[in-house]
Amino acid sequence: MDRRQFIFRGLALGISASLGITGWQYYASESDSNRDWVLSALLPALLYGALPKDTTLAQHELARTQTAITDFMPYLPVSQQQELADLFALLANRISQLALSGHITALPQLSVNQRLALLASWRDSYLLVLQQAYHGLRELLYGAYYGQPEHWLPITYTAPKFC
Amino acid sequence: MTANHLDASQFTANQHFTADIVIIGSGAGGGIAAEQLTNAGFNVLLLEEGAYYRSNDFVMEERWAYPNLYQEGAARKTQDKSIGILQGRTVGGSTTVNWTTSIRTPPSTLDYWHSEFGLNFTGENDLAPFFQHAEQRLSIQPWPVPPNANNAKLQQGCEALGWQYTVINRNVNGCANLGYCGMGCPINAKQSMLVSTIPTALSNGARLISRLSVRKLLWQDHQVTGLEAVPVDAHFQPRSDIKVTIAATHYIVAGGAIGSAALLLRSAVPNPSGRLGKHTYLHPTVISGALFADDINGHSGAPQSIYSDQFVWPRDNNVAGYKLEVPPIHPVLMATKLIGTGEAHAALMAQLNKLQVCIALQRDGFHPESQGGTVLLDAQQQPVLDYPITDYMWQGMRQALLSMAELQFAAGAKQVLPIHHDAKLYSSLPEAKAAIEQLPMVKLRQTVVSAHVMGGCNMSVNANNGVVKQNGRHHQLQNLSVFDGSILPTSLGANPQLTIFALIWRNCQLLIKELM
Repeated sequence: MDRRQFIFRGLALGISASLGITGWQYYASESDSNRDWVLSALLPALLYGALPKDTTLAQHELARTQTAITDFMPYLPVSQQQELADLFALLANRISQLALSGHITALPQLSVNQRLALLASWRDSYLLVLQQAYHGLRELLYGAYYGQPEHWLPITYTAPKFC
Repeated sequence: MTANHLDASQFTANQHFTADIVIIGSGAGGGIAAEQLTNAGFNVLLLEEGAYYRSNDFVMEERWAYPNLYQEGAARKTQDKSIGILQGRTVGGSTTVNWTTSIRTPPSTLDYWHSEFGLNFTGENDLAPFFQHAEQRLSIQPWPVPPNANNAKLQQGCEALGWQYTVINRNVNGCANLGYCGMGCPINAKQSMLVSTIPTALSNGARLISRLSVRKLLWQDHQVTGLEAVPVDAHFQPRSDIKVTIAATHYIVAGGAIGSAALLLRSAVPNPSGRLGKHTYLHPTVISGALFADDINGHSGAPQSIYSDQFVWPRDNNVAGYKLEVPPIHPVLMATKLIGTGEAHAALMAQLNKLQVCIALQRDGFHPESQGGTVLLDAQQQPVLDYPITDYMWQGMRQALLSMAELQFAAGAKQVLPIHHDAKLYSSLPEAKAAIEQLPMVKLRQTVVSAHVMGGCNMSVNANNGVVKQNGRHHQLQNLSVFDGSILPTSLGANPQLTIFALIWRNCQLLIKELM
């Protein structure tokens, strides 16, 4: 366990303890579902204003982005993949999420503004790991969304049809 | 599959190879070395961690290019995540994905190396003939086409303010002015190592093994005796199921700054100077966006054709110098750097084609408070760069933001956006200046990026002040050379590829004389 994992897990355990709850655990086998759960909650907020108004089209874009993130992550260094898995586990845990967001409501039930406020609170946090989480997620998610040619119409970007 | 090329990911059993000379890395250093040494008749084995992709693979899409052609999927970061690093990882190295800017080593940089490291590049050591060789070999010449609007605004701002600017020399032949150099040239116009020196080396009989990660040099009694390597998987992660061993007479490490230092650290080579992996430089870069009334379309046309050295060599060395350039403007590159979230971010992205972007590359390594970073190894023995940013450097970055805002307004910008997470669009220079003066210059608030990695195995005359000699030969291990940008003792104050081409060309000629 490196320093960052130590901090993430320490943070989660500390939050649990402060609420009188024990038994916070991280299972690697849960990492895919944690990731999908967290992305499903955060992507619509980060991409608010970029997604099409049409709900069906928006769902397609969200699904495409989520797939792109899943496809991209194995290219990251193993240490960064582990950091992301830890972050997703932390956010998927209702108890730690309560302490991080101040909301008892599960992440997906928060309003878009509440989710954006949560992200902004990480950006402005005194904890370096939360600042890093904000920037890391932001780059990962925006990179995945704007990498898809299907999403370029609103930004009127077209690559030359050369090949 | 090309004759003489092996894809290590296809190996199904342990392998052993021998050669006169093994070159680890196929970028600016390794590519030049492969051609020079095979021209001299040596049996060369060229190793590359990345894949052997060629023009037909280059589909001009960031979503393919970044994971497949760049280190860590173009998401490489310094240890504290405060600096993003773009560095190639493919056959041809960063020359396959760079923006073609080719600048000779600034004389002031060579003077500094002379005074601080005893390195004399005058007289018989003059690099000028080797610059000429490289420029001729790689079609390096001033870009004759008018700059695209992104570069033109840099030029216009300089003209309006009376600032110095230069038309960039590019290593292209038959360039169609597409603007996608960073994703691999789809028409083989860019004279990267991929399409120039490496094909020649292969036709001379060199063998290329791609998707192979060298993990360790074996050595004893001042001699390298062999190396151990493993194939990488489909995502370029080192595998553990197959082992490749290689024995050669001479070993050339050319894995690029960060990569070369990491290999030597894993190998625990002698390091009496204590400098191995240290003093790794980045040209730490800050960014300023600007919205113009007219279309910029910064994704189209040669990515870099104008630069300004107005501020790169300030008279007062207590002020950090910086070079002004522009980057190409593509969706992923911009979306990941533009600030804000939700509607605010979407609104900026919607104006992508009216966005002009300047970058200021800080000349690091020339001041006691600018001593670069240190390459470390993580739990997987992979490199991580610890690069602290000092107050001296932060103040230089603030000054760079001020200069870029001044330039962009002088060029006619309607609004300027310093890429800092506390900044916003400013509509006048006084407003921008007042805001920039107040921005907290701290990590993860001020966005910092790098596309130039240098140092970590610096050359020096004296063994207690460097890792390799002036000719790139290791100070302690007799049959080991380091032939890449990691031997630079400071950053350059200029884009590095032409310096590496010339320096390694010269070092190869010296090596050939010694080995013949």
